[in-house]
Amino acid sequence: MAEVAKKEGSTSRDTKTVTLTIDGRSVTVPKGTTVLEAALSVGVQIPTFCWHPKLKSIGACRMCYVEIEKMPKLQVSCATEAADGMIVHTDSDLVKRGRRAVLEFILLNHPLDCPTCDKGGDCDLQNLTFAHGYDDSRFDFQKRRFIEDGVESTFDDLRIGPEIILNRNRCIHCYKCVRANKEAFGEYDLGAFERGNVTEINAAPGQQVDNPFSGNLVEICPVGALTNTDWRYKIRVWLTQTVASVCPYTSSGSNILFFKEKHQNRVYRVTGRRNDDIDDGWLPDITRYGYQIIHSEDRLRTPLIKKEGNQETATWDEALAVIEKRLGEIKDKKGCVCIGGLIDPSLDNATLHSFSKLIRRTLGSNNVDFRIDYRMLPKTSSDNYSILTSRPFRIADIDNSDVIITFGSDLLKEHPNEYLRIRKACNFHDSRVFSLNPYAVKSADVAELELVYGIGADEAIIAALCLAGVEEKLVSIPNPDQLKEATGFALMTEAAAVCGVEPDQIKIVARALAKARKVTLIAGELVTRSRDRENIASALCNLNRVFGIEEKGQIAVLSRYANSMGARKLGVLPDPPAVVKSELTKLWGGWPDTEPRNTDSMLVNMKKEEINGLIVMGADPIMLYPDREFACEGLEKLDFLIVCDLFESETTALADVVLPICSWAEYPGEYVNLEGRVQQANQAIKPLYESRPGYEIVELIADRLGQKLFESDEVRRIEIEKLLEVDNGLSWPDSFVNTGWTNEEHDDEFTVPLAVGDDPHHCGHRTEKASSLVNFCGEAYIEISPGLAANYQIEEGDSVRVESPVGKIIVPVRISDFLDNDVVFIPRNFSSTPVTSLLMRKCRVDRVKISKVVS
Amino acid sequence: MGTEKSTGTKVFSLSGHIKRPGNYEVELGFNLKKLIYDPEYGGGILNDKKLKGVIPGGASTPLLTEDMIDVGLDYEALVDAGSMLGSGAVIVFHEETCIVWVMLKLIHFFRHESCGKCTPCRQGTAWLEQLIHRIEQGNGKPGDIEKIDDICGNILGRTICPLGDAAVMPIQSAIKLYRDEWDYHIVHKKCLVKSDFAF
Repeated sequence: MAEVAKKEGSTSRDTKTVTLTIDGRSVTVPKGTTVLEAALSVGVQIPTFCWHPKLKSIGACRMCYVEIEKMPKLQVSCATEAADGMIVHTDSDLVKRGRRAVLEFILLNHPLDCPTCDKGGDCDLQNLTFAHGYDDSRFDFQKRRFIEDGVESTFDDLRIGPEIILNRNRCIHCYKCVRANKEAFGEYDLGAFERGNVTEINAAPGQQVDNPFSGNLVEICPVGALTNTDWRYKIRVWLTQTVASVCPYTSSGSNILFFKEKHQNRVYRVTGRRNDDIDDGWLPDITRYGYQIIHSEDRLRTPLIKKEGNQETATWDEALAVIEKRLGEIKDKKGCVCIGGLIDPSLDNATLHSFSKLIRRTLGSNNVDFRIDYRMLPKTSSDNYSILTSRPFRIADIDNSDVIITFGSDLLKEHPNEYLRIRKACNFHDSRVFSLNPYAVKSADVAELELVYGIGADEAIIAALCLAGVEEKLVSIPNPDQLKEATGFALMTEAAAVCGVEPDQIKIVARALAKARKVTLIAGELVTRSRDRENIASALCNLNRVFGIEEKGQIAVLSRYANSMGARKLGVLPDPPAVVKSELTKLWGGWPDTEPRNTDSMLVNMKKEEINGLIVMGADPIMLYPDREFACEGLEKLDFLIVCDLFESETTALADVVLPICSWAEYPGEYVNLEGRVQQANQAIKPLYESRPGYEIVELIADRLGQKLFESDEVRRIEIEKLLEVDNGLSWPDSFVNTGWTNEEHDDEFTVPLAVGDDPHHCGHRTEKASSLVNFCGEAYIEISPGLAANYQIEEGDSVRVESPVGKIIVPVRISDFLDNDVVFIPRNFSSTPVTSLLMRKCRVDRVKISKVVS
Repeated sequence: MGTEKSTGTKVFSLSGHIKRPGNYEVELGFNLKKLIYDPEYGGGILNDKKLKGVIPGGASTPLLTEDMIDVGLDYEALVDAGSMLGSGAVIVFHEETCIVWVMLKLIHFFRHESCGKCTPCRQGTAWLEQLIHRIEQGNGKPGDIEKIDDICGNILGRTICPLGDAAVMPIQSAIKLYRDEWDYHIVHKKCLVKSDFAF
């Protein structure tokens, strides 16, 4: 049998083609294409169960038989490579008999409990049996049943993960779940056990299927063997209709489908809408289950107005009247410069742009920012950091990069789609991956080499790479002395010693970088969150200059939120790049002549009572800002605070007026993903309760303040379109940039470096309202290395007191499998345990002390 | 040594109802009848009973009946005779062996060996075992034999590895060569021959 282990996407590097005939049609495809894919390319559908476009073919289900002339037996088209001159029949009598036989075999032990199966109506087995099967069964024995504890029932439902329920009787052994888990996600919490016709899929012994991509296993199951609690027994699929949208939690903007009931105003589930440029059809669980916030009981239903210290329900008119009066007062008494605006960068373009215009034109100041969870931001946006955030980047180009470097990033948590891409590049294209991180992260499991450098030595490790390139004569640069001066290190070994990494390992990475045909370098949150992000960005500019990375690939600091890129392009920054500013000036006929104030300086000015009014759109600065005390002090001093949100938060608790905003499913919106791709999220349902879309709220406020923001929706659309077309004009510096690195002094009392990041199942304060995500991870925790745990005599599940100079929290312990140094990790955005209370805005590295709580 | 196309020698492992079971290294093309009956080799059937059939190349090869054993043990001759040289594990049955019982033993082995990766073998071998078991027990139904033959056809040549082929080839040949015995099982709910010798 001419079966080959076909590699997904193997066509990309092969330019030779073959021509074959399928059902009388001539088809030309790249060499290496399977017969099944060749058929698909001309619209010939071949039925399959075990084939998946993004997994290696295994030819297990045998449903995709075709007849190929001159071959004596039926061939499985998913595992047969197309060859020149092949004459293929996909619908001959022999093929039909073969398929029918396979369906008969598959149905032998399938319980046919379709009436009570959630997959009914959406089931490959139903559909293919309908199309190709027998109408009767020749099997007259008792079906094989997996029965737990002697319960006589085909409802053999085992909960194998926080969300996943397994029915082994329905399983048809396509192994797609196990393969996807292993090949695409690198997870081994699900496996096939036993053999022959008692083979069963189950969770690995002692484990739960709780990986951050586990929802995909349910989606790719061709039958109802894997279902999730999210969708189970809620609605029949034929009563739903789909609406295309995008994910508001990931910056790549995974493409999704909402399933809504035709007559109810309700979304029932989210599935992938495969887009090979972005997500390959895989959704992280946060995208899949995050929609549940839409229908959370905790949604804000009406506007609230604070009266004598209590927030009371009000109508929109009443709320807007209060806003008109109070903002008017501040405006008249103190001037517009005393009003600021903060907006969540996962909101759509229209809301971001309207908000920016409200602050700049109606209120006339530059007090606007979307970067709420970063400390010590630059005031201007023409720095090296901004260059790195706006370089061209394509997710799909990760696939064919032969060298991939991730720097300061736990991609699995920050950018799950890109993590899967890197995994795919490794698995299918043998790309070499190197991870450079201040502490060991799970995402580095794909890496050939993970360099863990001393926390805070980010510039030094990049300097070491640059110097290794020069010293090893891997690259030739005209002015090596200037590089040495810029980095502050004369020799690579000096820099290596500072970061505590073996020089040989640095040379390995430098050599790979120099030899690479195509490079992808991704710098992540550990860079963007650093107080010294500009220095680190400069170091990366030097690295790009030494190795010519962008000339042979891509180098970027990836945007974190669903529309951060849009916010940047639309200039929702205190001081946008000059070209953006001039385009905005042209569109609006003016530019406020006030000092640009970012989140930090707005908070400073609130504290000084120089900013008295604040409009917060969709965000919770108290939770997000990496210095909780500082943010609280600022916000508490405000005279007037307007907060628009989906839910109550600590920030809404301080607000004078709270306005309910719509979720992204309730109005059509456009989002710009990290590549700069503009994607449409369609309206799935009507606004719930009295909520309104963000842009509408902004326009209502502007109306009350006496300015119509846009003549029409069309005008707004054109403005946005023009801004998105603007190239921000930032370009690489034309010489090496001085990065200057000094070690930060720290208090002897607080010695343990604290890393703060995201939990893969949690993103921002809203996702706490999605019950499925809470099932995965409901509360904050502290991850510590086994070594550190032993030092403190701490065990898994113990409670630990974590103290910093400014705050303390108590969290349960998770002993990490991969942290190997004395860094501890605590996820942010958990309202019960705000880790930001430990952070200080002016710190480069936050340090804490930990102690076991004795109960 | 050997024949023109099959050269050299091969070790044949002679077992079953045979006087002198054991391993015999002979030239390829060596006569099967001689291997069974020659006093230097098999030495004839146990208790001098009549020969019923031979599996010439291990559990996966089609059977040969008594009138087919005057054949050379080489690749080509055995294919011409409708079987295969296989592993060289020659299994001999005498006249009192129930062929359905033999097939039940064989399919039990193959069902147990099936890895479960591809559908026809995973499901088909188990189904075949259930059907053959029912016939052997005297509970067979009219049409079962045709069903078995059809299922075998749906497995043969349709699996990833040759285990599927191996499982069905002896069954197909046993139905072809000993159809009367199968029919007797179904019609009379019992065995035509008395199986009193387990091996």
